[in-house]
Amino acid sequence: MSNRTVNINVHHITRVEGHGNIVVNAKNGKIEKLQWQVPEAPRFFEAMVRGRSYEDIQTIVSRICGICSISHSLAATKAVENATGIQVSEQADKIRLLMHYSEQLQSHVLHVGYLAAPDFFGVPSVVPLVAIAPDPVKTIIGLHRLGNDWSNLIAGRTTHPVTLRPGGLTKIPTEKQLRELQDRLKKSLADLTVMANVVLSVAGKIPQFERQTEYVSLKETNSSTYAFYHGEIASTDYKGTVPVNNWKTVANEYVSDQSTAKWTKWHRDSYAVGALARFNNNADLLSTTAKAVAKMFGLKKGCCNPYLNTVAQLAEAVHVVEKSIELIDELLTKGLKSEAVAVSPKAGKASGAVEAPRGILFHEYEFDRKGNCMSADMCIPTNQNHANIQKDFEKLVPEILDEPEDVIRLKLEMLVRSYDPCVSCSTHMLDVEFVR
Amino acid sequence: MRKPVVVLGLGNPLMADEGIGVYLVERLMDSATEYPAVDFVDAGTGGVSILYHIEGRRKAVVIDCAFMGEPPGAIRRFTPEEVRSTKVLAHQSLHEADLMRIIAMARQLGEAPDQIVIFGIQPERVELGQDLSRTLTERIDEYISMILHELES
Repeated sequence: MSNRTVNINVHHITRVEGHGNIVVNAKNGKIEKLQWQVPEAPRFFEAMVRGRSYEDIQTIVSRICGICSISHSLAATKAVENATGIQVSEQADKIRLLMHYSEQLQSHVLHVGYLAAPDFFGVPSVVPLVAIAPDPVKTIIGLHRLGNDWSNLIAGRTTHPVTLRPGGLTKIPTEKQLRELQDRLKKSLADLTVMANVVLSVAGKIPQFERQTEYVSLKETNSSTYAFYHGEIASTDYKGTVPVNNWKTVANEYVSDQSTAKWTKWHRDSYAVGALARFNNNADLLSTTAKAVAKMFGLKKGCCNPYLNTVAQLAEAVHVVEKSIELIDELLTKGLKSEAVAVSPKAGKASGAVEAPRGILFHEYEFDRKGNCMSADMCIPTNQNHANIQKDFEKLVPEILDEPEDVIRLKLEMLVRSYDPCVSCSTHMLDVEFVR
Repeated sequence: MRKPVVVLGLGNPLMADEGIGVYLVERLMDSATEYPAVDFVDAGTGGVSILYHIEGRRKAVVIDCAFMGEPPGAIRRFTPEEVRSTKVLAHQSLHEADLMRIIAMARQLGEAPDQIVIFGIQPERVELGQDLSRTLTERIDEYISMILHELES
């Protein structure tokens, strides 16, 4: 039995840009306090869209987040269309999926390169990593640039998309632009392989830790598609799927004293969302090279090491590129047509869900007959992971309590980072003092 | 080819004065035709995507809400060398970003513009809301003329 006394308090309390706190207090080998705390200020976006037109929702909610802005806009657009009975053409649907894939690439390469890689190389952030491993960093930046250009082309901007509207899109790319994008995507597969090999070379730094939990993500029934954009709610603890409109019976949001964010649970006392959850529900539907990347790391369906979420992201980054190459072929074979979108408001209430890079995202809206929003409800992936992070802490800490305090702290921080929580994206102001 | 100069407006227009950078860059876009060598970009809260917007440029002008210990509404023009970031990052999430660290990284990579100028505007209110405070609203013309003057230099 351990007789360690440990006091770890990783505090980052700022009420404007929130962070999570890690607290571990152990005395003579007995854990007295062990908490993942989320003290972030509530943001009330649901109240901000009340009274706004059904045509404006996707633009407003894109500002909820600077990293997952496309996912928020897409979830909102789908919810609006479901609520008001608006149909979308096959072409618009495919272009939106292409837009959604671009965000997955942007976000995943950043997560692997900027958040996870510094841990693997033993440096505190990506800035010193430039000096140690300039070539891998340049590869990551090149892939991120591709993701940005790709979002720019399809969404009209790298962040906060402007081409989405209920019923379709305000602007579509030209066939020539799609062909050029496809060429770059084909070339990027080599860079993605380089990135995977670099991570593999330091994969020994990924902690060995397992905890059985429930994994929740979208899944398309009787489909060959690894679900990001369509589908119903699936779980590793449940046969069958739940319609998106019933997401509240899945999330079962509740309040925890240690957090201002709501927590969720379904069949157990916590569940996980994100790349590993998608992988565990859809792994057999990954593209060929993505499967090879998963295999390189020994990642198999049923994996319950949360640190390997990063590896699942690597596989998904390859997957979205390969699938987008195919998607562009499908669009070009049919030929792009300009489509007029005519929609009219209608009363209704419904939800929309997409897989944001860090997990399943739900939006729900109700509109009156003029199309004005009467109520809104959103449930973000990070909130769905908080309880699961806490449960991971509770299993992990007793296992590592005899290790040096800074190793315990690092492993807990790496665990949090592996979920890539979305805790502070509503504001990004400068905070400076003048040197002279 | 990229235009040699970029003006980046940063911030979130749903958070009152925090959105000043976005508000100003949108106003500046009205004059875009008079500045053919300048890209005006609403970069929102895209974090490290700033790196992508500034790379390969000769000059970058960044407009952002800044806590500088000044009275609300104050605007200061400064370069990265003149300040030290006091922002505490948890390194838990991609959603955190610090402009000063991103500039440092761009320099290490040899991708930074030769000249980087920051216009910091001290906020009065950073809270939910789509309107700027009156203090900042009344000084918009002054901010715009300062930034345009920078582009002419």
